Amino acid sequence: MFRLQGSKVLAVDVTGDAVKAKNGSMVAYDGQMAFKKLSGGGEGIRGMVTRRLTGEQMTVMEVKGHGTCWFADRASEINLVALQGDKLYVESSNLLATDAGLRTGTTFTGLRGASQGNGLFTTTVEGHGQAAIMSDGPAVVLRVSAQYPLTVDPGAYIAHQGNVRQSLQSGVTFRTFLGEGGGEAFQMRFEGDGLVYVQPSERNTIAGDV
Amino acid sequence: MSGYGAPGGPVIHDPMSLPVDDNVNNYTFCVELKGSEWFLQKGKMIAYYGSMEFNGIGHGRLDRLVRTSFHSPLHASDWVVAQGSGKMLLADRAFDVNSYDLDEGNLTIRSGNLLAFQPSLALKQSIVPGFLTLIGTGKFVAASNGPVVFMEPPIRVDPQALVGWADCPSPCHHYDHGYMTGVMGGLRAMTGLGGASGEEHQFEFVGAGTVLLQSTEILMAEQATGAVPQQAGVPGAGGVPGQHGQQAGAPRLPGQLGDLQRRFGL
Repeated sequence: MFRLQGSKVLAVDVTGDAVKAKNGSMVAYDGQMAFKKLSGGGEGIRGMVTRRLTGEQMTVMEVKGHGTCWFADRASEINLVALQGDKLYVESSNLLATDAGLRTGTTFTGLRGASQGNGLFTTTVEGHGQAAIMSDGPAVVLRVSAQYPLTVDPGAYIAHQGNVRQSLQSGVTFRTFLGEGGGEAFQMRFEGDGLVYVQPSERNTIAGDV
Repeated sequence: MSGYGAPGGPVIHDPMSLPVDDNVNNYTFCVELKGSEWFLQKGKMIAYYGSMEFNGIGHGRLDRLVRTSFHSPLHASDWVVAQGSGKMLLADRAFDVNSYDLDEGNLTIRSGNLLAFQPSLALKQSIVPGFLTLIGTGKFVAASNGPVVFMEPPIRVDPQALVGWADCPSPCHHYDHGYMTGVMGGLRAMTGLGGASGEEHQFEFVGAGTVLLQSTEILMAEQATGAVPQQAGVPGAGGVPGQHGQQAGAPRLPGQLGDLQRRFGL
């Protein structure tokens, strides 16, 4: 059971079940807890190799026991995501914790990752349960639907869930090379049906400067 | 519509629920464009619904707009114009953002803090280096490190906490020199030995108006403000030699006593 205590601390009540969390993100616990490092994100040998190859590395620990465990990471804002059989796409660096029942994996994102400066691959979380994702400043959740496609700055994108198609939009023109660009040279366009999480801050991307 | 997002979960926004020209939360501001235009600092858009175009200030079609509302050639490369229709979210490094309305008024703001403004306002460079002045009627969006506090002059403020000021004449520097007189005082001010409070220098505002302060002394990353024309009489231009004020930022050579030297007229 995930709940937020303030906006920067995640409290998880565990009763014999397990939760997967970013390595070292535990700040306190109450009761009996066992922490076990899962190498390679807990997806077995295949997952470990995939993560090594794709650069979407994450070190994850499994927390098991009875009681309450609190997680936090560098005072980032934490957002809870409820998954009902759908898929959450999130950068591994933004993923704080997931229910042990959720499957994590790696997926190819195409050119979007390249413009964002964090690789061509992203982490997926799938199943029924809750996940906690981190953002710099509280995330804004935006709905994408058939009549309302959404465009997002790659530096502010943190995650999306649902049945959403994403494409990279480029505003690079000859002006960009003259230093007269619009400042938003690369944009991610989302179409379909789902939710997109955006943080009120931009990571440094190559697109931010052109 | 869609089945994502459980009740009781986070607030989910769509173009209908997003506010019009208002804050979504403390850190995100939503602007609605209906065929209208807004000036934005480059890269502060985080997401938008609808169709929009972002063009540099130098774009030919914007000539008329720029002629009436953008008077700072030195900032041209930092600003873009958003055109189109839809709703757009603005944010800046997870700082607090707020909008302000000007009614036939003027407001001067630290250049890095200004995020966006309506073209009904005119942007000019303040004669105080590093600040921009907005004149006219309209809305603008500014970021601050922590919430903004509004104060009435007469007031002395810490230079790092100053965000901007409205309707009042420019500030002047104020130095607390009372306790620094004499040789010991001079050494103290230079070295910090024997107790310097760190608050010997303030900006002083007098007259009628409003002063905007942020609730921290951590400055936001300074936006490059460009150089002012190299002309005599232009502050910050370094045009006139022999002015003491110009040397403040220059590195001091060994053997030069600087302020102490000047204090004794050496």
